[in-house]
Amino acid sequence: MAPPSHRPDTEPGAPDIDENGVDRAQIRAMLALTPEERLKRVEEFLQSALEIRELNEARPVR
Amino acid sequence: MRRARFAEILQLLATNEVEFIVVDMTAGILQGAPVTTIDLDVVHRRSPENVGRLLRVLASLHAFYRHDPRKLRPQESHLSSPGHQLLTTSHGDLDCLGTIGQGMGYDELLAQTVEMRLSGGLTVRVLGLPALIEAKERAGRPKDLAALPVLRATLDELKRSS
Repeated sequence: MAPPSHRPDTEPGAPDIDENGVDRAQIRAMLALTPEERLKRVEEFLQSALEIRELNEARPVR
Repeated sequence: MRRARFAEILQLLATNEVEFIVVDMTAGILQGAPVTTIDLDVVHRRSPENVGRLLRVLASLHAFYRHDPRKLRPQESHLSSPGHQLLTTSHGDLDCLGTIGQGMGYDELLAQTVEMRLSGGLTVRVLGLPALIEAKERAGRPKDLAALPVLRATLDELKRSS
């Protein structure tokens, strides 16, 4: 009989979520950036959200 | 809403030797919290010299009151007060706060700040995560409480990595 295969608790690449639902891997990724890079990331996110909003401005909210 | 260029606003303020402290969510972001915000909040020193420097930067950014249909521009008397000046600029929304919380101004907050380096050898003062968490706890509004788990986890990760 073959031995049972090893099944790790967390799969590689799986998010590391703490008891409050916070993604710790996301925090570590932010900490790896410089302060300016962190801010640029937010600026890019805001720009994308703005572009999507502008594209959908004429549509009613449902 | 104009394209947000918060990093450039910080560069401009620092280059022009404006004394200010980055507070609220931008302070969290600069220290590594994966959160977002639509404006930049700073507490400025309200000395006449500093208000003068800040006014010059605000003029170069074409700042005006964002909730005022007359598009009024901030004046020295506004920035010398402990109140909140909610502005929009060519680089995005910028709130210049005389005080935060229980009347805490630049001088009272200074001891709870950290210095962060920007490109070009410039540095900015940012409200430290422990003080930011405390401010959010004290404010106690749903939006402040919602941010707490991420801010606390960021502080925890920072402590682990140091």
